[in-house]
Amino acid sequence: MKTFVSILRSLRFGLQNFGRNIWLSAATVLVLTLALVSVNALVSLNVLGQTALAALRSRIDVSVHFKPEVDESRVQTVRIALLALPEVSSIQYVSPAESLESFSQTYGGDQAVAASLSEVGANPFGAALIIRGRDLTGYPKIMAALEDQQFASLIEDKDYDNRQAMIARLESISSRAAFGGLAVSGLFALIALLIVFNTVRVSIYTHREEIGIMRLVGASDWFIRLPFYVEAVLSSVAALAVCAGLLLPFLIFAGPYISHFMGTPDADLLQFYRTHAFQVFGLEFMAIAALAVLTTKAAAAKYLRV
Amino acid sequence: MIRLKNVSKTYPNGTVGLQNVNLHIRPGEFVSVVGQSGTGKTTLAKMLIAEERPSHGQIVIGGWDITEIRRAEIPYLRRQIGVVFQDFKLLPKKTVYENVAFALEVCGAESRKIKAIVPQALKIVGLTAKADRYPRQISGGEQQRVVIARSLVHRPKIIVADEPTGNLDSLNTREIIDLLKRINDFGTTVVLVTHNKDVVNELQRRVITIDRGLVVSDQEEGKYVL
Repeated sequence: MKTFVSILRSLRFGLQNFGRNIWLSAATVLVLTLALVSVNALVSLNVLGQTALAALRSRIDVSVHFKPEVDESRVQTVRIALLALPEVSSIQYVSPAESLESFSQTYGGDQAVAASLSEVGANPFGAALIIRGRDLTGYPKIMAALEDQQFASLIEDKDYDNRQAMIARLESISSRAAFGGLAVSGLFALIALLIVFNTVRVSIYTHREEIGIMRLVGASDWFIRLPFYVEAVLSSVAALAVCAGLLLPFLIFAGPYISHFMGTPDADLLQFYRTHAFQVFGLEFMAIAALAVLTTKAAAAKYLRV
Repeated sequence: MIRLKNVSKTYPNGTVGLQNVNLHIRPGEFVSVVGQSGTGKTTLAKMLIAEERPSHGQIVIGGWDITEIRRAEIPYLRRQIGVVFQDFKLLPKKTVYENVAFALEVCGAESRKIKAIVPQALKIVGLTAKADRYPRQISGGEQQRVVIARSLVHRPKIIVADEPTGNLDSLNTREIIDLLKRINDFGTTVVLVTHNKDVVNELQRRVITIDRGLVVSDQEEGKYVL
């Protein structure tokens, strides 16, 4: 009972300290908020990067265009042989007629192309196979299999390399952005650490009379220290609330533009925060509160000689 | 009650606070510790509340050896010893009542207990009518009475008063000394650290004289001899 009463009073003293040094508390909350905003920017970048990569990966395939003289039975033989590879997930057969139709749909408006096709007369396209791998690492093996002499002589063209370069580039941009975001978050965390340290120092100085009297009349060590920890946790809660308060309207406003820019409805940050709010904000709160509490501990050890 | 055996205190800069002090203060005694400024009186008072540790020797209070007292135990010692200082140490933004109640609040006392004890303490020091005043609204003597009331709320067996009349005029000084005598009459041991000759001579109680860290005189019903 006595401990419970003491904890409640410590909470009250912590709240009072927070309110009495409101400008100092506001500065601390602001810096903690900046650290949290930078972390959330990093999280958002990561989510968007992963969404873009997933979208790109889902579109990856190898298109193998056969020479026009290769008949369907030989193409099907190649298809069966390729399906036996563990790296291959699926293979779609595209007949020469379908290839022509697809080409006509894409370039139908181009008169020069239409004239060329008309001049040729017959269907100039061969059959094609669209091969999807189980994952990115399997494509080099699929490509190697297509280089086999028994297939190579039948194939007119293969299309894969360009997308591989795009993925590599996107992964590189994504990892650089993550590194940059981490550096910015680290910088804000460091500033937050120094500000919290200074806040506790000033708070201890402001309350030196009260602390001295507490010591004289027999207040326990933890009772004197607890209000400063309460202040640190309160600052963390306030910073998280401010950060969430800024983030939510931003996502509601900017979400559609981001999805449009990314070219996929999967790039929905608001939906991500809806489904992962507890994990993201819970982890962020734990991290920022741990940072604030550890800094308070260091400042109290240095300035609060109980 | 209080026993000091061969207690010495040397500060890190080499200043000697106390030298080989041996004392025994019995329960219920009223002891004046006198001496000129800087002779070690305050060092002795601080050692009794474990604010200073002796460099050598042993300090036992009520059978409790506090020589090597652990930090976590200090609050429990201080709840058994009331402390009164020259500079009052009152919180200016709290009323008289709140200042006295603060001593109980920070030690986890229940509100019901606080409401019962604080008025009693204020009654003893004669400040019931001024419970709602702030320290700046009462005289120096009254402020020191608030401090005494605050030191009483834990019902201490010992009160250590370090120059409690140092900032007071003669009228207020008399009031404070009378109050300490009344508290002593209830059975509380009082250790009064002072260099006020008139106070000591009027009290006609035990007087311990310290000079340059040494106990040079210890007399029952003594006088200020320096």
